[in-house]
Amino acid sequence: MPTIELRHITKEYENIDEEQTYALHDINLTVQDGEFVCVLGPSGCGKSTLLEITAGLLSQTSGEVLLDQVPQAGTSRDIGVVFQDSALFPWRSIRRNIEFGLEIAGFSREERRNKVQKTIELVGLAGFEDKYPHQLSGGMRQRAGLARTLVADPRVILMDEPFSAVDHLTRLTLQDEMIRIWEKEKKTIFFITHDVAEAVYLATRIVLLSPRPGRIQQIFDVPFERPRNRNDMELLSIVEKIYMAINNPVQSHDTEYFI
Amino acid sequence: MALRTKKDTKAKNLWIRFVQIAFIAALLAGMQLAVSKEWVSRVFLASPSQIVQEFVYMLKENTLWPHLSVSLQEVAVGYLISAVAGIGLGVLFVSFPLLEKLIDPLMAAIMAIPKTAIMPLLIVWFGIGFKSKVVLVILFCFFNILYNTVTGSKQTRTEHLKLAKVFKASRAQTVFKVLLPSALPSIFNGLRVTAATAITGVVFAEMAAAKNGLGFLLNESQAVLNTPRLYLVIIVVTVLSVLFVGLINLVERLVCRRWMPSRIA
Ligand SMILES: Nc1ncnc2c1ncn2[C@@H]1O[C@H](COP(=O)(O)OP(=O)(O)OP(=O)(O)O)[C@@H](O)[C@H]1O
Ligand SMILES: [Mg+2]
Repeated sequence: MPTIELRHITKEYENIDEEQTYALHDINLTVQDGEFVCVLGPSGCGKSTLLEITAGLLSQTSGEVLLDQVPQAGTSRDIGVVFQDSALFPWRSIRRNIEFGLEIAGFSREERRNKVQKTIELVGLAGFEDKYPHQLSGGMRQRAGLARTLVADPRVILMDEPFSAVDHLTRLTLQDEMIRIWEKEKKTIFFITHDVAEAVYLATRIVLLSPRPGRIQQIFDVPFERPRNRNDMELLSIVEKIYMAINNPVQSHDTEYFI
Repeated sequence: MALRTKKDTKAKNLWIRFVQIAFIAALLAGMQLAVSKEWVSRVFLASPSQIVQEFVYMLKENTLWPHLSVSLQEVAVGYLISAVAGIGLGVLFVSFPLLEKLIDPLMAAIMAIPKTAIMPLLIVWFGIGFKSKVVLVILFCFFNILYNTVTGSKQTRTEHLKLAKVFKASRAQTVFKVLLPSALPSIFNGLRVTAATAITGVVFAEMAAAKNGLGFLLNESQAVLNTPRLYLVIIVVTVLSVLFVGLINLVERLVCRRWMPSRIA
């Protein structure tokens, strides 16, 4: 069943000097229930723009976003977002940060405690509940950010380069955790990255965007079982295919702009 | 090794403290000598011992406390009204940006008036007593606190605002759970700066026209050329100012201590 459908999404930014940036052009994408879709593309090709439109944080110039076949206007509690640098509130303890969404939704203190405790254990933050964000490492902060989204139990989770601010080893661990949580919680995930290996390791499907204006260049299926081996020949061959596509943007009209 | 460096810094700090104390002692001794040997006219300078004597004398005659308490009350009332109204109106402005847009030009105009120029008018309106002093303190402090509340909330990180939207927070929830906490450091900055300003304002107002208060005491001492008393009152006012700012710092630390990364020493 389709969870998210993007239909003919186009986005133009109007700058102050009335100059227009054509950020996205005619994006069509259907994400099925329980899929793990990774969006890949060079810097500035409109990945964050696409995520914010899907989340309802930004309005598209034209086109439609559908959630369970219902057109969306604005944000929805069924769509959660995890930000790049976790965006925790420095004035709240980790527990209170994770509670935030529940508090907004009006859950009682007791319900919050229960749900939060479970989620804290799920993301491996037990023992850090009463710390403040500045006392945690980057990787732990990212776990807390993920927990804050998970605890509100959205159907879809949108993630904008969530692991790009942590070191390589932490990143590999977080990728494994992400897969474990995805398999356990059965969420639909829309995951932006510019790391090809990360995309291939995580995704069931990879959407490659080409820049200026951002459009879908190619979609790759990654139909392999889990747990995956990072050095698996089949995975590596997809990595290679993606690099080839990035270096030969056949469908791109203005190749001279390509970085 | 680590222990040793710690010891070294401790020794260094002790040494710095020693030099500082020695310097102050030398300064005081110099003043004492300069006055007692009549190198400088007694009208210009008071010796530390004269100042202490004056202090003891005023305590005995109970001539310091009445003035001090009047000034303290004026500062306290004016400052409290400024803080409550400034933060309160700030919250309103943050909640209803349209309101801010409407009132903003008026506020900017009022803020641009040098407050001291209004003093004579305030005396005409409110007399030379308690009220005109409180009003001046409010003029000195209120706008600053309001301004810091509003600009502080504008420094809220965009991700935090997006987060509020994603979780579908109401306007009130966004204001109280996101915007105001983000503005807290800026609000405390406003409170800190105005703590010193409030005392300046009261002393100034009392010097302009009053029947009591520390500013009045300064004027009176000047008129009778009581130099030790002038110095004494200046010291009292300074100590008051330092204590007041210290109090605000303490409150800030109690409120924000846990989430502020400890200051780098
Ligand atoms: N608010 C804005 N106003 C005008 N132009 C914008 C705005 N936000 C983004 N753009 C432009 O839209 C294009 C896409 O930006 P976007 O942030 O979506 O890219 P991205 O793929 O997320 O890049 P990165 O990988 O660096 O995060 C860029 O050319 C950018 O300059
Ligand atoms: Mg981006």
